[in-house]
Amino acid sequence: MNLLEINDLASGYEGVQILWGVNLRLEKGKLTTLVGSNGVGKTTLLSTAMGLLRPWQGNVTFAGQDVTHLSAHARAQAGMVLVPEGRQLFTEMTVYENLEMGAFSRRSQATFKQNLEKVFDLFPRLKERFRQKAGTLSGGEQQMVAVARGLMAEPEVLILDELSLGLSPLLALTLFESLTRLKKTGLTMLLVEQNVSMALAVSDYAYVLAEGRVHLEGPARDLLKNDEVRRTYLGI
Amino acid sequence: MFSQLASSLTDGLLLGFVYGVAAMGLTLIWGVMSVINLAHGPVIALGMFATYLMFTLLGVNPYLALVPVAFFGLLMGFVIYGVAVHRVINAPHLSSLLATFAVNMIIIGLGTAIFSTSPQNIDFPLGSLEIGFLTIPVTRLLATAGAVLFTAALYLFLYFTRTGKAVRAVANNRRAAELMGIPSSLVLALSFGLGTMLAAVAGGLIATFFPFTILSGGPYELKSFVICVLGGLGNPLGALLGGLILGGLEGLIPTFMPVSWVPVVEFGLFVLVLLVKPSGLLGAK
Repeated sequence: MNLLEINDLASGYEGVQILWGVNLRLEKGKLTTLVGSNGVGKTTLLSTAMGLLRPWQGNVTFAGQDVTHLSAHARAQAGMVLVPEGRQLFTEMTVYENLEMGAFSRRSQATFKQNLEKVFDLFPRLKERFRQKAGTLSGGEQQMVAVARGLMAEPEVLILDELSLGLSPLLALTLFESLTRLKKTGLTMLLVEQNVSMALAVSDYAYVLAEGRVHLEGPARDLLKNDEVRRTYLGI
Repeated sequence: MFSQLASSLTDGLLLGFVYGVAAMGLTLIWGVMSVINLAHGPVIALGMFATYLMFTLLGVNPYLALVPVAFFGLLMGFVIYGVAVHRVINAPHLSSLLATFAVNMIIIGLGTAIFSTSPQNIDFPLGSLEIGFLTIPVTRLLATAGAVLFTAALYLFLYFTRTGKAVRAVANNRRAAELMGIPSSLVLALSFGLGTMLAAVAGGLIATFFPFTILSGGPYELKSFVICVLGGLGNPLGALLGGLILGGLEGLIPTFMPVSWVPVVEFGLFVLVLLVKPSGLLGAK
C-alpha cells in the first residue's frame, strides 16, 4: 500500500521551473531514498510535497487523501512530518521546548510521554542536554534534536532532508543506525541524501532525481549495483 | 535637595514601568513578525479613551476597566492584523510601515471627529502616600502594579503555555513552526493582538494620571521606539529595562535643567545607543 503518492508534480520559483513532472511513491513501512546531485530539485520536491511551495501541476495524496491544497501545518497535523535541511531548530528555545513544539499537533499529544521516552532512548545525549538552548548544541546534537522533534510529532511518514550534511562520518553512521532502528518500528520514511552509499545501504527502494525528473528508480539493492549510479554518485 | 531628587527618581521609575508595557507591545510585534507597528500610538490613545468612557459613562473603576480594555486591545489587534498587516506580511518592510501608518491615520481621523482634540482626564483622585521623605501619588503606584501584573502575565504566557511557546517558535523560525503543525498565520494574528493589547493597557494606565487627547499616543509611540532600541528590539525584558531607564531620566532631568530638554536628552541617548551598541543593552546576536 502506498502511504504517500506524488503524481506528475511540477513546480519552481518565480518563473523558473525546477520540477518537470515527478512521480514518487512511498510504500507503507518502507524506507525510501531519493538521491541526486546538488540542484536537481530534491529540496524543491520536498517543499512542494509539504505544502511550503505551491505546485504548478500534479497532485500529492497522503493516506488516500488528496492533500495538494492543504497548508503545511495541516499536512503536519495529518502526520506528514519533514525534518528540514539545515535542521531549522528553534534555536532560542530549549531542547525540551523544541521537542514540545514537535508534539504541537493534536495527534501527538496523547502519546507525548511515551514519545519522549522513545526519543531519549534513541538519543540518550539529548536527555543530558534537555534544558540547554538548542542553538548552543554541536552540529550533531542539533541534528539529533531535529530528528527527535520530528519523531515527537507522531509521524505517519517521516521525511528527512540531508540528514548527514555537515556531520562527521562517525556521527552520520550513528544517525543512520537510529534510522534502521526506527525502520524496525514500522515507520514509513523518505530519506533525501547526498551520502548515497550509506543511504542505499539502509533503504528498501530508491529514486534517482536528475534535472527535475525521476531518472532511475528501483529496489535500493539493484541501484547499488547499477553501473551509472556507481559511476555518478559513488565514484567507483 | 536629596529628598527632592529621590522623589523625582521614584516618580520617573514608576512611570517607567508603564512605558515598559507600551514598549513591550511594540517589541513583541517586531520580534515575532518583523513589522514595525506605526498604529501603536493611536491604539495607546484608544486605550485611554476606552478607560475614560467606561469611567465617565458607566462609572467603572478605571483599574477594573483595564480588563475589558485589554480585551478591546486584543480585538483591535486582530482587526488591524487581518485588514492591514496579513496581506503584506511577506512584502518588504516599507509595505507594512505604510499599511500600519494608514491605520494610524484612520484611527486618528475617526478619533478626532468623534472625540475632538480637547484634552480629557479621568477624575479619580486617590491622594498620595508618604513613605519616609517620599510622597508618591497612589495612582502612580497602582499603575506600576498594573504594569508589573501585565508583564508577569505576558512572561508566564510566553514561557509556560503551549500557545505562548508556539508564539516564540514562530518568532524564532516560522517555516519550521509551520512544519511542526503550528498554524503560523493564526499565531501572527494573536501576537499582533497581544502587542496592541499591551499598548491599550499602557494607555489606560497613563490615562489615570495624565490628561490626554486622541493625539496623545504619538509621544508614547516615539518613547516606545527609543525604549525598544535601548533595551534591544524584540526583547520584552529589554523593553522593561529601557522603560525604567527612560522613566528614570524623565524624573531626574527636570531637577537639573528645564523640562524642555527632556526629549533632547532622550533622543540624544537614542542616537548614542544606535552608534555604540545598535543591538541594544540586552540585545543578543
